[in-house]
Amino acid sequence: MALRRILIANRGEIALRIVRAARSLGIETVLAASAADRESMAAREADRTVVVGPAAARDSYLNPHLIVHAAKATGCDGLHPGYGFLSERHSLAALCAEEGIVFVGPTADSILAVGDKLSARGLAKAAGVAMTPGSEKLETGAQAVAFAESVGFPVVTKASAGGGGRGMVVAPDAKALAEAFERASTEAKEAFGDGTLYVERYVERARHVEVQVLGLGDGRVLHFGERDCSLQRRYQKMVEEAPAAAVPEATRARLHQAAVDLLSSICYRNAGTVEFLYDVDRDDFYFMEVNARIQVEHPVSEMITGADLIRLQLEVAVGEFPRIEQRDINPRGHAIEARIIAENPERGFAPSPGRIRLWRPPHGEGVRLDTAMEEGALVPPFYDSMIAKLIVHAADRRSAIARLRAALEAFAVEGVATNIALLRRIAAHPDFIGNRLDTRWLESVFLPQYREPKEA
Amino acid sequence: MTDIKPQDIEALLETFDASTWQELHLKIEGLEIFVSKTPGARAPASTGAHHQAELMSFPSTHATATAAPPHAMAPLAGAAGAKAAPAAVPAHWVAVRAPNLGTFYRAPKPGAAPYVSVGQKVDADTEVCLIEVMKLFTSVLAGVAGTVRKVLVEDTELVEYDQPLFLIEPA
Repeated sequence: MALRRILIANRGEIALRIVRAARSLGIETVLAASAADRESMAAREADRTVVVGPAAARDSYLNPHLIVHAAKATGCDGLHPGYGFLSERHSLAALCAEEGIVFVGPTADSILAVGDKLSARGLAKAAGVAMTPGSEKLETGAQAVAFAESVGFPVVTKASAGGGGRGMVVAPDAKALAEAFERASTEAKEAFGDGTLYVERYVERARHVEVQVLGLGDGRVLHFGERDCSLQRRYQKMVEEAPAAAVPEATRARLHQAAVDLLSSICYRNAGTVEFLYDVDRDDFYFMEVNARIQVEHPVSEMITGADLIRLQLEVAVGEFPRIEQRDINPRGHAIEARIIAENPERGFAPSPGRIRLWRPPHGEGVRLDTAMEEGALVPPFYDSMIAKLIVHAADRRSAIARLRAALEAFAVEGVATNIALLRRIAAHPDFIGNRLDTRWLESVFLPQYREPKEA
Repeated sequence: MTDIKPQDIEALLETFDASTWQELHLKIEGLEIFVSKTPGARAPASTGAHHQAELMSFPSTHATATAAPPHAMAPLAGAAGAKAAPAAVPAHWVAVRAPNLGTFYRAPKPGAAPYVSVGQKVDADTEVCLIEVMKLFTSVLAGVAGTVRKVLVEDTELVEYDQPLFLIEPA
């Protein structure tokens, strides 16, 4: 069977991306939008838009019952959740299964198995995937200190129920850990409704390297190479690349195998990403987590492999096996993505919603822009403030950076503040060009320099 | 592109409704609006404007500067906004709107009498319909005391958030 009509439970560039991928497969699209997005580009391009609720995400994009009701009432046989919002909510996948709607993503059981980080670590361990020394669930600061002393400081606290930096505190010694534990637990409880913490050894110089996979649901798992997403601010990615050029080829091959082993052990279906922490000094990697969805930065993998991951998601969801095998996936060249965000780096990165008065994006060979913005469009204040993803592709990293710099130079936006000027400075920085980065570089090296008044 | 927002147009329509004008024809940059109190009136031939919203005097939430025509795909029809333009409606009538997307039910159960019918008097807390989302039924209240003048939605139809369901003439 093939999908005939899908509901898209998302907004912005990813909703538009899904509308277009579906259309290329002859699948009709219904967009479930909030009242704030009824005039969006995705709403215009979808075959139909239904307004499910008010602007607040809680009463629209985050309500699984409204979304599934909309899918049923509009005759959809499939549902694509995009990323963020309900994309990794196992109850949505379960609800779809109950109602006979194909969920374009993993099964509810898979989402549960990899969604809870402790459960995911258990799976990784069973599949023989390397991990940083880490504790079981901890009740008290004293337990945390005892564990940390057995593996050595520094350590980091993590929330069992979620990510995004909430519940994470780096502690250089026992005193700091004892003090931070309560605060981290409270933060985790507020963010995820569950204050359970565990503690891990902290890697001083780390890169964030992740492997893009596509599970066929029968134990076979294809991978599309890895990405390096080390440029982060407060655990939010800002620039992503593929391949991870700083990691030796042999290590990359081991990373791919670890990701495939982990997800074939649960017969994972659809797109997913296995995230690893790469220890620069030891040339080793540790499992971090699985993201059971398509990710924001999937285009860099598409650029180097030539695959259309959203199309593949739609095919695999109904058991159509892609006509490609692992040996057909041969990464070529280098791709970089820069997230264009409506925020003001000069004012503590405050979100900058508003109406786009001028929108002059770059064009040219090897330049791709994933966006749902245009002149006159409104950046609403209710959601994530990413307004575009600028992706470049070239034969090697050096030429990709040249292309990125030219594209950022040409990119003009007025009406909202953006991080474009900051991205230009990153792209021109010797550390970026020399690929001497780690996950703390942006905050500890680059931003302090960026904030200093420029010398004449 | 102008900076005109849906609220601006609603404000304009309210002014028009309250006035004794018969027609209003407005052109600003790429926007063109023609409003008339004569049912079936047509705007003069458009002069290359990108958007043309043709509106009667009832300020529907779906009437905005960039309102696109409903999509033509037959099996997907029946959406809010696909309705014919409402006939002239007194400006002081109040719309009862859907609190969220769902299925509209006029009666508490199949075969039962509807909660309200045209001409019926209601109080602010009179139940006027049910909205169902995945078997969960929520009752919608009139919100204003007055007389039911119009039922805008068919029983068991899908309604969207903020869609007008009834028109009530306040007491």
